[in-house]
Amino acid sequence: MAKEPARAIYDVASSEIGDKLMVTRGTGRRVREALADVLEGLPPSGILYVDTRGIDLMDYSFADEALGILVSRVAAGEYGERHVVLVEEDRELLENVEASLRQRALAMIRVDEVGESPEIVGEVPEHLVETLQAIYKAGSITNADLAAKLGLNHTACNNRATRLFKLGLIHRRKNSAAPGGRQYSYEGIA
Amino acid sequence: MKTLLELNIRRRGAMSGVLTLGSLDPTFTAAMKVRGEPVVLDLRLVEFVEPSGICGLATLLEFLIPRSNEVGLMLSGHNVPAYLERMNFFRIFGDRVKTNTDVTALEERRRGNPGTLQELVNFHSEEEIPGIIGRISEILENKEYRLRERAAICATLSEICANAVEHGASPFGAYAAVQAYQHIVSGGRERRGEEVLVAIADGGIGVRDTLSRNPKYSEYTKTDNDSLRHALKMGVSGTGEIGRGGGLAVVGQIAVRTGGSLSLRSGAGRVTFYGDRTNSRNVPFFPGTFVRVSLPRKV
Repeated sequence: MAKEPARAIYDVASSEIGDKLMVTRGTGRRVREALADVLEGLPPSGILYVDTRGIDLMDYSFADEALGILVSRVAAGEYGERHVVLVEEDRELLENVEASLRQRALAMIRVDEVGESPEIVGEVPEHLVETLQAIYKAGSITNADLAAKLGLNHTACNNRATRLFKLGLIHRRKNSAAPGGRQYSYEGIA
Repeated sequence: MKTLLELNIRRRGAMSGVLTLGSLDPTFTAAMKVRGEPVVLDLRLVEFVEPSGICGLATLLEFLIPRSNEVGLMLSGHNVPAYLERMNFFRIFGDRVKTNTDVTALEERRRGNPGTLQELVNFHSEEEIPGIIGRISEILENKEYRLRERAAICATLSEICANAVEHGASPFGAYAAVQAYQHIVSGGRERRGEEVLVAIADGGIGVRDTLSRNPKYSEYTKTDNDSLRHALKMGVSGTGEIGRGGGLAVVGQIAVRTGGSLSLRSGAGRVTFYGDRTNSRNVPFFPGTFVRVSLPRKV
């Protein structure tokens, strides 16, 4: 059984910088820097849960600076294979996070509570949503099994999963002992 | 010899006696021609001041005061001077303009205005914005505005204030004011409601020059109105950085969701966004950027 990845939870509202009202890019930048510090302190494959449930208002500027830029840097591989998950309920406050991520053609995983079922915030192409859902439903799945489940050839399946991995939405592991040589397996990050 | 600056105050109809930004149109052009002589602003026909009027007046005075050796305000009656006092107008300008009103007497009778959500506030930097938002949020909470209503008003104010200090940097910074008005809201059945008006004005370079910094917008910045219409689109910004240029678009969405509108004025352009349509008009020159957001609220 795969080892559970390390995780940290950052409660934005009750942090030193936090408040119920999170506005402006300057505030967002300070929160992002604090989040980056925590993220960098995690071991490889670690997950940072950003809990925004204590916030009443997050304006677009704050959302883009704190989360949009952080997610873009995670997707660019600046933090290795560490990932970020948003802990937030389905409410209006999410609109600005959604708008920022869509502007950046990015997405992140959201959960109502740590351990609960994942949802997507932001922009994921329709054909990738199906792949993402299949991976999260399986828990952990090899490329061959995923390809079979989705009715794709191995290369197409691997391309889709690689795109999701590069968006920071899944973990990817290399199984070098797999029959026929190297094969990837995928699993959800939350 | 004093130069008298007359305003365009309507004498008939629903807007009779109301000081709006449009009322000040003739004065901005005249202010640019002042070369040190004393100036008097005639506000005697004003009976009612809305947030756009007080922010516009503050901006006009910031342009006039350095150009004139004495700026005077002619006011009439009691209501308008008392309102200006309650809106902190004389705290900001009392020492810099002469009036025909005894401001000290107004200070003694100073009382809170039930509809005032934000008195006239002057700000210069982004660091001041969370404090402004914190205060208005507390007032809204005390007045039992629902969370989504508070979020709409606060997000509108924070985004426009941030634009003003980031793109509209000027020696005097920017001015904001927010006021709620009781009125009848139409709908399936008419009932009492409220309209929250948010106004912000700065004396910066304006929307057209800001967007012109980005060469890819050359097609959209041929006129002030072209620039204003383009600035309303998601992701349009002078810097061109991904993720930028979302604030104004989000404010437009908030205004539309409440059934209100977002108006922008900059240079010789004026654009009002209603969601399903955008109206544009050429108007007299405004030196900076002015934003007015109407957020109706059914209560």
